[in-house]
Amino acid sequence: MTPQVDAPPLRDSARDLWIVPIRHHSPACASQLERLLAEVAPAAILIEGPLDFEPLIEQVCDPRTRAPVAIVVLRDVEKGGGTRRVVSYFPFCNHSPELIALQTAKARGIQARFIDLPSTDAAMVSGDEDAGDRSLVGDETPFDVGDYVTALARELGCRDGNEVWDQLFEARIAEPDWARFFADVGQYCACIRGAVSAETMGRDGTLAREAQMRALIARHRAAIEGPIVVLVGGFHAAALIDPAHGKVVEPKAGAGAGRSYLVRYGMRQLDALAGYGAGLALPGFYERLWQARESGGASLALDLITGFAAHLRGTDMAAPSLPVVLNAVEQAERLAALRGRPFPARDDIVDAVRSSFIKDEIPLGDVPLLAELRTWLTGSAIGDVPPSAGSPPLVEAVREKARGLGFTVADGERRTRELDIYRKPRHREASRLCHALALIGSGFAQRTAGPDFRNDAGLDRLHEIWSVCWSPQVETRLIELSEVADTLMDALAAVLAEKLAGLAELGRGHSALAAIDLYAAACRAGLGEAAEAVLDAVERHVLDDPELASLVAALTDLVLLRRSRDMLDIADTVTLDRIMAATWRRILTLLPELAWSGEDQLRPAIAALADLRGLMELARSSAAPLDLGLFDEALARLGEAELDPMLAGAVTAFAITGGQIAPAALGQRLRGELASGYVDPADRLAFLGGVIAIARELLWTTPVIITALNDVVAGASEEDFVALLPHLRLALMPLDPRETDRLASEVADLIGADPNRLATLLEIPEADLAANLALDRELQAILALDGLA
Amino acid sequence: MTEQTEAIRRPAEQRYAAELAALAADDAGSPRPAGWRLSPRAVRKFLLGDARLGITRKFYGDDPLADRAIVSLMSQQGLMLVGEPGTAKSLLSELLAAAVCGTSALVVQGSAGTTEDHIRYGWNYALLLAEGPSERALVPSPVLNAMRSGRIVRFEEITRCPPEVQDALISILSEKALALPELGPDAVAMAAPGFNVIATANLRDRGVHEISSALKRRFNFETVHPISDPDFERELVLKQLAERLEPAGVVVRGEREVADLLVRTFQDLRTGRTAEGVNLNRPDAVMSTAEAVNVLHAAALEAAYLDDGRLSGVHIARQIQGVVLKDSPEDGKRLRAYVDHIVKERAGRSGVWKEFYSAARSLKLG
Repeated sequence: MTPQVDAPPLRDSARDLWIVPIRHHSPACASQLERLLAEVAPAAILIEGPLDFEPLIEQVCDPRTRAPVAIVVLRDVEKGGGTRRVVSYFPFCNHSPELIALQTAKARGIQARFIDLPSTDAAMVSGDEDAGDRSLVGDETPFDVGDYVTALARELGCRDGNEVWDQLFEARIAEPDWARFFADVGQYCACIRGAVSAETMGRDGTLAREAQMRALIARHRAAIEGPIVVLVGGFHAAALIDPAHGKVVEPKAGAGAGRSYLVRYGMRQLDALAGYGAGLALPGFYERLWQARESGGASLALDLITGFAAHLRGTDMAAPSLPVVLNAVEQAERLAALRGRPFPARDDIVDAVRSSFIKDEIPLGDVPLLAELRTWLTGSAIGDVPPSAGSPPLVEAVREKARGLGFTVADGERRTRELDIYRKPRHREASRLCHALALIGSGFAQRTAGPDFRNDAGLDRLHEIWSVCWSPQVETRLIELSEVADTLMDALAAVLAEKLAGLAELGRGHSALAAIDLYAAACRAGLGEAAEAVLDAVERHVLDDPELASLVAALTDLVLLRRSRDMLDIADTVTLDRIMAATWRRILTLLPELAWSGEDQLRPAIAALADLRGLMELARSSAAPLDLGLFDEALARLGEAELDPMLAGAVTAFAITGGQIAPAALGQRLRGELASGYVDPADRLAFLGGVIAIARELLWTTPVIITALNDVVAGASEEDFVALLPHLRLALMPLDPRETDRLASEVADLIGADPNRLATLLEIPEADLAANLALDRELQAILALDGLA
Repeated sequence: MTEQTEAIRRPAEQRYAAELAALAADDAGSPRPAGWRLSPRAVRKFLLGDARLGITRKFYGDDPLADRAIVSLMSQQGLMLVGEPGTAKSLLSELLAAAVCGTSALVVQGSAGTTEDHIRYGWNYALLLAEGPSERALVPSPVLNAMRSGRIVRFEEITRCPPEVQDALISILSEKALALPELGPDAVAMAAPGFNVIATANLRDRGVHEISSALKRRFNFETVHPISDPDFERELVLKQLAERLEPAGVVVRGEREVADLLVRTFQDLRTGRTAEGVNLNRPDAVMSTAEAVNVLHAAALEAAYLDDGRLSGVHIARQIQGVVLKDSPEDGKRLRAYVDHIVKERAGRSGVWKEFYSAARSLKLG
């Protein structure tokens, strides 16, 4: 279905206007535009771009600006009672027709003006407000989807809209007849527009933007003598021929205005596939095409394929031999000839590499070599902006610091950096920077390995390994923060304050832990004393906390942090010590209250007690300044209450390890519990369970336990024994196999059996084994089918 | 030799003689590689169809692959088509050979019994004993024939041959010449322009051999994938069903719905994932489009000759077990699980799935 739509005329002679339809970031459009501007010699150039960006034109055209760059706008949008920060980009690359127009205007000393709605206007940002970073350059999806493009692709034997565009337009980058070229672009875009309903265009803001463009064209036409070139996305050209117009929407000033900056941008972000919705996929290819425009693309395949082969030699992938490279170049040229193109287009080159470089079956999906080709054809370059671009001081400070510490900030390549944090002060400094940039959420660095002082893990590792990538997003985040801070330390403090305020929203039990997390992160980022602000919050949360378990966890974390104070740069532990002491007192206050734990609270209480024992061991071994002597008193108070058997067992275990009661007393109590008249046999073993949960080593260090157990088992009737057995097993479950063996040999000693006969190897015939395995597999399959695997 | 009056299947150059003639007439005068009967673009039209000249489409699903294959044949490299069985590799190779050089008959069929003689040349031993080595006594292989006449030789299932036999191709592909030492110290058969090799191979099947790196380097590889678009695959299956039924005068009803069921089942089992996104165990059996056509054809014959002519899910269920149970008994269990869970779900929503479900439930699937 080809919509019959007439192309809008390129020239409106009545108004002496040239309405030039382009596709954003198209090298062919840029190249033809150069020809057009040279011939038409306009008095002014009007460009589809937000009106409020005009003050930045000078920076864009600064000789020190090196594309890709982008104008970034930060806006706060009201949403559901709160405000949300929205970031939008208006990118330029070397082959953006917009950039060519701005540069030409500057070179000729003529005016260049933007004629779109202000970047903050609702029509510019309509659509899903929850979407992530967005592009302000028009939406290009109509070039890729829709019945018209699909039908045309089928007609031309192309696989998608991108290939259609390449075939119809990029192939004509060197064609001398620019008028015919733009007439064809206009015709093509008008057909695409013909397939879009007016309702859609009203909804997505297209019509509002076109009204603004008509109004501004009229205003500039009235003010400027001589021919005017209007540069717009081809999609809009048809709507601008109509001279009727309304009022201009002026940019807002003050609170409603967005804040815009010229920033470095990356090839990777330019890639249409990266999800920013503008530009051509694999921008690195089009950059090369732009460079080869003078030669009409003649050496493009040779340059790209040999370039990619050279790139492969620098990676750990197998590099192709010279005959293979030559074959690929030949393949690309012949594919282009077969498909009727003057030089190989993007897909011809990808196809040629696919046929020639890969000597194997290619599975559906992807192979590493083709993924690498796409990454390479995307490019990783990052542009540069002049110092006058007013990059906020924070951005410059962080760039300077990162560069000084040996990080690459000139491109967007992802790299791995290994830091020897114990021995090299500079590496420790670099580690702090990574931690700091991670804390502010810039996406610069991710730690893939290293010692974790917070969780007491991997402390034997000497190196930290980071994956770092200086992307435009890092700078954007810094620009955002530059509104509140000029230095990284100030920015960190601001982020910390914001996160601290956010802690209040968390559940009470977890807030102390979250606050400690934050403290650890702040220490690692090298915030030093400023991090202590977080400790106040920790203290507040601790004093409010009614849960023994979370207090024990919090204190354990604090002890761990204190132990690694040198690595975390905690110079002064006074505050830390005070909070640890407060937490410890709070734990001791809550301890006797365990006596009133309800039945459902029993297991967590026992678990908390077990953690408490671990905490005390840790405090002892790391010489934490806790008055552990106070514990006995609190335990004694707990022991005085009428306790559930399991809790009683736990308390008794504590008392024995602390030496307050003699093992003999335990034997007596245990005998009484095991032989008691509880209805549920489980209750008879609860006491033993409590003992084992806290100190299972008592099983073999205190012989009275085994003696008592043995007496009860030996004295039980057959029926009674069977009733007791499963619960006995459950009570002994926490033991690991080695401990079980140890216990068994103790018992054997006691009853005079031969410990060597305890272990019996049960032979399982192979057939049974196979049958069981088959059964197991079948069960797995059934579980998998039920989605339970 | 007697004239063949009718064959079960005629080669592509005969089946499509009219189309090839039309293309040649239209193509006259356009540039082409030396030794080619048609220009590369005409070859492309022959494969992918051209409404203006009345050329039908013969290769489906991956147009860029067709382009790459044609271009590879113009180069110094041979063309290696790899992929799962039933993905129309051999058909593509036959069509390419027919269009490029006018014959698809120069074929070496790879098997465990293939020897170097099948690739180089053998002897007519009676003549050899009578006359000694002479041109007359020499029995050229299809490869040698293709070299001398500048045509395409097809090497089917190359990985079924032992690697040392495959490697006889290395020097032929790189030197484009074959020494005939028995005929004299300087006797060499030089390949005429237009000579090339199209090999087809299965790299993953059971009982196949490796290809040496040296031989791999002399080929451009193209992987032919099963068709991934279910609507498209259904249309293709229906078209091929019609091509088989029409000559026999068989008429069935309800084939569209049934083809839809069949293609969805095949796609689910082939990919190990249903359209709804449920994962399942993939059978080892080959679930190719060609197999789908075979199943539908057999089901249609059963419906036409043994039933009332209405094709239903019942017929598919009976035929599908023959495909799935070919390789391993495990596959039966996998199909059973698919029927019990996925098909059962769909049976509640449509009549044809319901028929399929109840018939498949009664199969002995192990």
